[in-house]
Amino acid sequence: MRIDRTHKGWFIASLVIFGVVLLLYGIYRVPDASQSMGGTATGLWFGSVGFAFMIFAGLLGARKRVPVYRLGRAQTWMRGHLWLGLLSLPLILFHSGFRYGHGLTALLMTLLILVVASGIFGAALQHYMPRVMTREVTMETIYDEIDHVRAQLLEEAEGLMKQVGGGGKSAASEDQGEPGGIAVAVADEATPVRNFYERELKPFLEEPGVHRSALADAALARGAFTQLRALVPASLHTTIEDLEGICQEERQLTLQARLHLWLHGWLLVHIPLSLALILLGAVHAVMALRF
Amino acid sequence: MLFEELKDIERQPDGTPVAAEDLLRLPVFKDISPQFLKKNANATVWRHFRRGDVVCREGEFGSTAFYILEGKASVELATPIAHVKAQGRPTGFLTRLTSKLVSRLAPREEDRREDEADRRSIPIDAPVDLAYDHPVAELGPGELFGEMTCMNYYPRSATVRAVTDCTMLEMLRNVLDVLQKSKAFRAQLDETYRRRALDSHLRDVSIFRGLTQDFIDHLRDRVELVRFAPGQVICKQGDPADSFYLVRLGFVKVSEGYPGGELVLAYLSRGDYFGEIGLLGGGTRTATCSALDHVEVVRISAEDFRAMVEKYPTVRSGLERIARERQEANRERLRMVRSVPLESFLAQGLMEAQSLLVLDLDKCTRCDACVTACADSHDGVTRLVREGLRFENFLVATSCRQCRDPLCMVGCPVGAIRRRNSLEVIIEDWCIGCALCSKNCPYGNINMHSFAVQAEDHENPGHKKAVVQKKATTCDLCTEHAEPSCVYACPHDAAHRVEPRDFFAESLGQRVGRAGRVRG
Repeated sequence: MRIDRTHKGWFIASLVIFGVVLLLYGIYRVPDASQSMGGTATGLWFGSVGFAFMIFAGLLGARKRVPVYRLGRAQTWMRGHLWLGLLSLPLILFHSGFRYGHGLTALLMTLLILVVASGIFGAALQHYMPRVMTREVTMETIYDEIDHVRAQLLEEAEGLMKQVGGGGKSAASEDQGEPGGIAVAVADEATPVRNFYERELKPFLEEPGVHRSALADAALARGAFTQLRALVPASLHTTIEDLEGICQEERQLTLQARLHLWLHGWLLVHIPLSLALILLGAVHAVMALRF
Repeated sequence: MLFEELKDIERQPDGTPVAAEDLLRLPVFKDISPQFLKKNANATVWRHFRRGDVVCREGEFGSTAFYILEGKASVELATPIAHVKAQGRPTGFLTRLTSKLVSRLAPREEDRREDEADRRSIPIDAPVDLAYDHPVAELGPGELFGEMTCMNYYPRSATVRAVTDCTMLEMLRNVLDVLQKSKAFRAQLDETYRRRALDSHLRDVSIFRGLTQDFIDHLRDRVELVRFAPGQVICKQGDPADSFYLVRLGFVKVSEGYPGGELVLAYLSRGDYFGEIGLLGGGTRTATCSALDHVEVVRISAEDFRAMVEKYPTVRSGLERIARERQEANRERLRMVRSVPLESFLAQGLMEAQSLLVLDLDKCTRCDACVTACADSHDGVTRLVREGLRFENFLVATSCRQCRDPLCMVGCPVGAIRRRNSLEVIIEDWCIGCALCSKNCPYGNINMHSFAVQAEDHENPGHKKAVVQKKATTCDLCTEHAEPSCVYACPHDAAHRVEPRDFFAESLGQRVGRAGRVRG
């Protein structure tokens, strides 16, 4: 979510809450290092409110699962998730009296720091990355359709090569000829295009992420295509332009997939850690209150 | 028997071409050149149907017309008379929280939509219209059906079934085209129309309901049926207004010239009318009306029109009101054209849109929550696709734009897709699911929704069977809720339903639009 001036209300409210709890902590904090802050009434209050904020933040996932339910606009939930989730960190720190603890409490503190840190990292990514994607990936498609579009690009390229037609096998396919077979190379004007396609472009289109192809780099690809143009007559330049277009679209798809991974990949860390934090936090609350 | 001449003609098996000599014995073919009929020997064939046989089915594509020689046929709509409604308006607290929209078929009696056209009949591709409450009619000898399909390649508008054993001529476009130029055939078609359809045609226009039977009888012999070829101008902007027109067949484009181009104001189909503004106003045409395809109009002369509005003040006031509304809407459109200079805005058709679903790509994380919400709201079938044209940093999602120039309406064989006065696109109850509107929408924003319904089983009379019927659906803006689900479910404040001109006002160098530039 973009953190812009529309967050002003949430920012001020969070600042006020933070100021109040900071004041309360200043008044009620336990100066004696041997005593636990969490065991005091104020400490318990900090812990309860911090945990409630965490649960609220965690409920965003549930809210997204029922998008049609009129439980409040999803963006309100998202803003709450960001700001209340962030506030849970100082609250829990005040609850613990800035002590790391041992065993479960230490684990909880580690989890909390990781969750908040991954959350801030994710928020920053979701603040900047959409703009990067909009600017850099002008041929964006639906993420789930990327494989399908790739298959279409390959098909299109194959079609272009069929149109080029002409002489016999390319040098590349000759090399892979059956042992003992007689490979007859028939050179024609289109041979450089076919060779380039078989050796460079086709592997790049088939498995764009696997091979370290020069075509993955825009500048290198431009150079390669310019060189190719110089080797063939002008009648083949349109085909080369089309192949270059396909290559560029493939690069865009690769970039989109990478940016998409950045945009959503961090959730693979954030969500499981959050769930573990809430679960263990509940265990901690029950144990602390009961024993 | 209508055609005594049939006695002398030997019937040939089904599908056999009709000999030119046999055709020439029929009165309707008497003006046709024998050479033409001989050259097109295979273009007209015998068709024999036994009682209960289906001649053609609604929604199917075809290229022929049928002319009944003997027997009777019923013409009906098999698709349920109902529109797709998103149900789920919350009533209690809990349902308000958890309400989910479910698409279902709702007949008009059950769900009368606001601002609904008060149609009493359904226009079809035959000399009769079907009554809305009982969409079945009978056709007999001497009647032609399937003209629109044959001439314009539109889908069949209704299902025709033989009521008795029938003999028909099935003809291709070249024959029908020549027949329609024949005086004898035209006279017979005109007579059939005046006798069978003029009443319902006039009465279907709400402002003409006040006409007495006497006056309609008076008009019956005075109106003229005029045909126009595709592209032909029916009346031109600035010309003197001399007639009032009712569309009987085909589609009429109403456009207005403006510096630098032409602006389409409306598409009119069967049952619509035009020409009243010129007759009631200054006496000159305010727009150009031209035939989009093969069009036939009922022409009422200026003299009869004036007699009508003088005799029936309610008709006059109704026409004046409609004329005022149309003029105001036209003025608004022209104002807009003149004030929106941006080429790309125009090129993307955004100026034509009244409501756009835009995604701010600088905020959108491509999480697809909008698509999921739309699918969840409509039985798992999304009515939006997160793909489309970009304007600045906004993606114009594939979702109904409520176009001002609604190409989706062109070609509907039963005139089921129309606009409300608010210009919102609405699909009427008698949609036959032919999917032509879906194909015509330039932005791919109309989907076909399948429903299982109980239909009459003609193989086992008296029994019903489950069949899948399709109805066209488009974004309904989740009107059951205060805000469209796609917008409501966007966690990143990226999805908005907007009025494009207001929303993009700053980009277009205009002053910022009215309050509430973002709807939803």
